Amino acid sequence: MSAVDQVVRVAGSAGAPSRLSQVWRYRELLRSMIIRNLKVKYQRSLLGFVWTLINPLLTVAILVLVFSHVVRIPLEHYWAFVLSGYFVWNCMLQTLNTGTYIFAEHSRLTRSVAFPSEILVFGAVGSRLLEFLAEIALIMVVLAAFHHFRVPPSFALLPVLVVIQVLLAIGLALPIATLSVFYYDVQHALPIALTTLFYLSPVFYPVQMVPEAVRPYYLVNPLAGLLTLYHEILYHGRMPSLAFLSGVLAMALVVYAIGYAVFNRYASVYAEIV
Amino acid sequence: MPSSTATPAFTPKSSERALEAAVELRGVSKRFYYYEHRTKTLREWFIRRILRRPLNGGRAEFTLRNFDLRVERGESVALIGSNGSGKSTALRLIAGIYGASSGTIRTHGRLTAVIELGAGFHPELTGADNVALYAAVLGLGRKELAARYDEIVDFAETRDFMDTPLKYYSSGMEARLAFAVAVCLQPDILLLDEVLAVGDQVFRDRCQARLRAFHNSGGTLILVSHEMDQIRELCSRAVWLERGSLRMDGDVDRVLAAYRAHNSLDLNRGTP
Repeated sequence: MSAVDQVVRVAGSAGAPSRLSQVWRYRELLRSMIIRNLKVKYQRSLLGFVWTLINPLLTVAILVLVFSHVVRIPLEHYWAFVLSGYFVWNCMLQTLNTGTYIFAEHSRLTRSVAFPSEILVFGAVGSRLLEFLAEIALIMVVLAAFHHFRVPPSFALLPVLVVIQVLLAIGLALPIATLSVFYYDVQHALPIALTTLFYLSPVFYPVQMVPEAVRPYYLVNPLAGLLTLYHEILYHGRMPSLAFLSGVLAMALVVYAIGYAVFNRYASVYAEIV
Repeated sequence: MPSSTATPAFTPKSSERALEAAVELRGVSKRFYYYEHRTKTLREWFIRRILRRPLNGGRAEFTLRNFDLRVERGESVALIGSNGSGKSTALRLIAGIYGASSGTIRTHGRLTAVIELGAGFHPELTGADNVALYAAVLGLGRKELAARYDEIVDFAETRDFMDTPLKYYSSGMEARLAFAVAVCLQPDILLLDEVLAVGDQVFRDRCQARLRAFHNSGGTLILVSHEMDQIRELCSRAVWLERGSLRMDGDVDRVLAAYRAHNSLDLNRGTP
């Protein structure tokens, strides 16, 4: 049986630093949530994961068609370039969209059980990430076989990029999910924001095509940094500079910290509102 | 599975520990803001952010006002009162689902709150998957669940349906399964909010027997219910709440009698 635990709650104490240890305490729930998300998505589907691939692959095909035959982007194996970035974008897009309804979807749960509610967001990020890892593994095989004709050593850097991606996904999805509880506007504004972001991020064009003068401002968008890193290690097969890598990582940490702060600010009241 | 929770303010010495109450609320108030107009203008929004208080859009109302409650270990207490008296809010505050507006809440021991049966159940998942999910929601580790899985399934009497998706369950079966998970967790403190009215009479009797056994083995039970017989059966003490304040606290028979008398008085007054 468990050790005796003593809990003291004084009104007004949010206890922000203790939240992550709480999440750790509920890791079993996080695991269950991730498994549940995947099971619910795939158990009744014959083609299962194939569906997850088809949608982004179609978009990749269209982008390749348009930007190598109509508007020409001068890159060798342009398909490989789009492939190494688009799935990252797609993963981020879907995760952030989930954020707009995740708390409303689980309102019964948050109203009746005390648990760190960021677990719901972590679970959504986690299950989408597992799918992404499968996608990116496939993409790496394809790129090694048909683009590089070898396995570039830069591929080994992928785990670092995944860490950055997770920080960004949580750091953006948490405030989106929190604000969605209070303002239904979020779910209308998000698609517009994401469409804008799509064009302002190097998904179908390389960051090198952005005029040098505005590039520092352009790279304020943390997704631009992340996608550039993916292009470097997957498409170009070269190591990014340490300065750039750590810069993007630092930015992701800042986004994560701000996102968590926004969530913390409202976490104590939203169970009453959802 | 470590079950120590957030920031203990102090660690009592072992001699004091025996005297520690299972649940202690001191001067607890809870005030809700009703967000009636969610569509605020940006100007309003900024004003609210800067002043850090709701404008006329948010109406504040006390659901619980300066409430004290001390429940000793091994006690079984019923919270009674009319709708809107603050019973459920008190329970949610103890469980930590809501944060108090003022006051201190102290709980001692592993706590399980069943406010809504089967919150977190997913209709597409099988019974077995849902048991795992609900147990995790209530804070149970995988190994602990494995040790109690058979007990849960036997208690719920759903063994033949554990691989069937929950959406094919009858509502009684679903409630039985949820209740079985909750009572088989063996917490130190169990909070129940009007969830005992599930299943058929046989299952209800078994639930009551199970709760009596929980109480006899030293568990602390706090229960919100409107069924007086059930309260008398399970609890030795009753706490009567009225409009967010304590009206009466004491022996279950005495408090229930007073509550009943008060209600029939109200009823008589209501009829011309």
